[in-house]
Amino acid sequence: MITIIKREILEHLQSLQFLILIILSILLFVMNGWISVRKHREQMTRYSDGVKGIAQNPSTVQASLYMHPNPLVLLADGGSKYQPPGYSLAPKGKLTPLPAGLKNFKMPFVPELDWAFIIIVIFSLYALLLAFRGISGEKEVGTLRLVLSNSLRRNQVLLAKYFSILLTVGIPLILGGLVSLSVVSIFLPEALSLMLVPRIGLMLLLTFFYLSIFVFLGLFVSSLVTRSSVVLLILLAAWILFVFVVPNLSGILSDKLTDVPSEYQSAKQVSSILKEQVWARIDKVRERVKRGELTMEEVIRRETDRAYEEGQEEVRKHYAGYENAMKHRANVARNLSRISPTALFQFASESLADTGPRREERFLKDARVYSSVYDNYILEKVGRLVGTSDWSFGASITVNGKSIDISSPHPQEYEGDKSDFPHFAESSPNLAYNMQQAALDLAGLAIWNLILSILAFAAIARCDVR
Amino acid sequence: MLTAIIKRDILEYMMSSKFLIGLGLSVVLAGMSTFINIGDYLQRQQDYLDAINDFENRGISVQIFREPQVLSTLVQGKDRVLGNRIEIDYWNLPIQTSGYMGHTSQHHRYLSGFISVDFAFVVRIVLSLMVIFLGYNSICEETVQGTLRLTLANSLSRGQLLLGKFIGGLFVVLGSLTIATLVAVLVLVLHPAISVNWDLALRILTMWGISALYLGAFFTLSLMISTIFNRPSVALLVLLQIWIVIIVVYPNVSVILSQHVVKIPGWEELNDRKRAIFEPYKRQYDENQKAFIKMARFGQYDMELRKKRFELSAHRTELHYRIDNEYSQELTRQMHIAQNIAICSPSILLNGVMQRLAGTDIREFDSFMEGVKRHWLKYLERQSLQYTDYKAYKESELPEFTYVKQSVAECIAQTPHHWIILFLLSVIFFVMAHMVFIKKDIG
Repeated sequence: MITIIKREILEHLQSLQFLILIILSILLFVMNGWISVRKHREQMTRYSDGVKGIAQNPSTVQASLYMHPNPLVLLADGGSKYQPPGYSLAPKGKLTPLPAGLKNFKMPFVPELDWAFIIIVIFSLYALLLAFRGISGEKEVGTLRLVLSNSLRRNQVLLAKYFSILLTVGIPLILGGLVSLSVVSIFLPEALSLMLVPRIGLMLLLTFFYLSIFVFLGLFVSSLVTRSSVVLLILLAAWILFVFVVPNLSGILSDKLTDVPSEYQSAKQVSSILKEQVWARIDKVRERVKRGELTMEEVIRRETDRAYEEGQEEVRKHYAGYENAMKHRANVARNLSRISPTALFQFASESLADTGPRREERFLKDARVYSSVYDNYILEKVGRLVGTSDWSFGASITVNGKSIDISSPHPQEYEGDKSDFPHFAESSPNLAYNMQQAALDLAGLAIWNLILSILAFAAIARCDVR
Repeated sequence: MLTAIIKRDILEYMMSSKFLIGLGLSVVLAGMSTFINIGDYLQRQQDYLDAINDFENRGISVQIFREPQVLSTLVQGKDRVLGNRIEIDYWNLPIQTSGYMGHTSQHHRYLSGFISVDFAFVVRIVLSLMVIFLGYNSICEETVQGTLRLTLANSLSRGQLLLGKFIGGLFVVLGSLTIATLVAVLVLVLHPAISVNWDLALRILTMWGISALYLGAFFTLSLMISTIFNRPSVALLVLLQIWIVIIVVYPNVSVILSQHVVKIPGWEELNDRKRAIFEPYKRQYDENQKAFIKMARFGQYDMELRKKRFELSAHRTELHYRIDNEYSQELTRQMHIAQNIAICSPSILLNGVMQRLAGTDIREFDSFMEGVKRHWLKYLERQSLQYTDYKAYKESELPEFTYVKQSVAECIAQTPHHWIILFLLSVIFFVMAHMVFIKKDIG
């Protein structure tokens, strides 16, 4: 068996396709390193400026909370260009994404060139290209019969082919990975630390786990179908479905499968909420003034402030509801795309690299914990908490012939000493926690591996080698 | 003899499993994606109609809505990700649309990572791969099997044989494209909520034309590689690597390079520019603002002051818009540089023309925004009547918002280089295939 593995590896290494892959992967990994360096530098500058700004000007009106830039976007970017650099926190836990900086919205969409993308597109295809002739090719030239005439079982042949393909794919992968890491360590040494080594190592293991699916798939179809060209065609059709169609189609399918009102319908509800929750409350105060129940300006202001505050709460709930509905839709899309091993690998990589929506969720969890500390601080310093929404209101009430301007209250800035302003600290990612997050996706990849390995072994056992 | 070669090749291709699998996949994907995209389009169209009915001409500000494009069902382009609503008044003229909920984009960021699967995707990815499969062994397989020697033993020149293979292959490629297009169109036509008029039909026909050129380029490329390499497996592997570079790597690199060539100014720089451009008027503006607040506080009414406030605010908005527009043009320039760097990628050329024809490209969006600027000027003209002739202001109505939509002829006229380059690529690949084939040792 070892002889076969050696022979196969030697054959692969001498092929033109291996040479092309080595060149292509090194080029792509160099670009990946270079892009990551640029991106990380930009993010670090913005982060440092932001954090410095908060330290210099702490505010009881709103606080900006910044996400610490993660150098492991190198492995799996996780849609960082769509993520805000942090959140703005207003009293009563109102979190609003900070503007992500100016981006060219006119530019065509191109996926981020991270490790996950290179592996998903280039290496998975390469694994198929190595595997498709594994059995059918040998059958066509008649060498399979010769090989099996030795004291070697079919399972062993399959295993030998499987390991030789994985090892061959591993060479450009490890080489490329090292090149990418070298680029980062040369131009941005502070971004990489020994703490990241286990994550990078696990990412490589995950990659082999993912590529193993394609190798088994290739060997399975190769054992099943006699002609190599047909094998390759079937494999390419599967590759297109796994890599491009299923992950992307799920985005639009989730629209159908989730009962979320359209964006316009949600926007339309805002005006009725403002009418019913804000203005109706103000009208009630007006009526009480008319009836003579409220005569003092101070009391009227207190009542209208309370009315606005309760109204704002409803507006905030509506916006949060829409945000949660969109998150739910995105989760449905992600779950649908989990049919494809490519999506499973993508999500597991994001978990390992601690990027993507889950990372943002963790940050938001920390921000929510901090918001209560922040609210307590405001209460202590200012004496009262005022919640706001994206809307502010103003009106006037006539009391005893005098017009009083009333407007929705705004948070108040504390002008005294703020040296004890609470510091926001984002919880540091824990590898065990991230592994736990990736568990579902890893289980999915394991199921794919199991099913395809069983199919491949069954197919070669029943294969007519003549 | 040439006809016999063409007939034989067509028959061979059509009976091959690679053709059947490729065609089957293309047809299923074209039909399914069009059906799903129609649902999405109808939802956006309903939102648009509701928005028009509910919001038209309310208050001082004017809301303009961007209609979704019917052909986004075939080529989604940027149609879904750009916002559909813009609000203008004399102190505000944005350069970008927003979503109905007020976000910068209608397409929520949580779903932004999912790209579209549409007819353009089927042509760009699935059919181009099928074409590679049809063409990769057309010459080298015959060389290996020895049938090439036999064929050329007849009164047939090598040029004629290559031409025969080209015509035969192209016939099958165009046939597959036609079937996939017909399926997509059929799904579109049979949907009761969609009406396909002559303009749309012509656009779809032109889409078919550019797709044919795109697939033609891939077929001639496959022929060329098939003549260069003797082993079919090597030819196929080389073609697949080229395909990955053309479809995936090259467009990505072009975007990254263009971001380096053209630097986009940040918020702070834009704000500085805006401050600088308005500096000569700032004192006058501030004084007017103060006076206006004072007037409002004491319940007075000074028409001259209100008029001045309107004029200064409108002027400020126009000056700020000038800066924003310069910024928008910088974005367009960066995008054009990315497109120019990737000009040799058939996939970028195809996308450019398809999105232009479907009205889902940035050109269409820019045209919409130009319409918004014109509409804003008309709005200002009407608003100014408030301070000079109130009766005329009350009697006047803001004209309906319109913007220039490109005709099919204009779309073609503005993308000649796309068509020419795709055609030239086919010619170059065919000529090179011919040159190699003439000198090829067929054993």
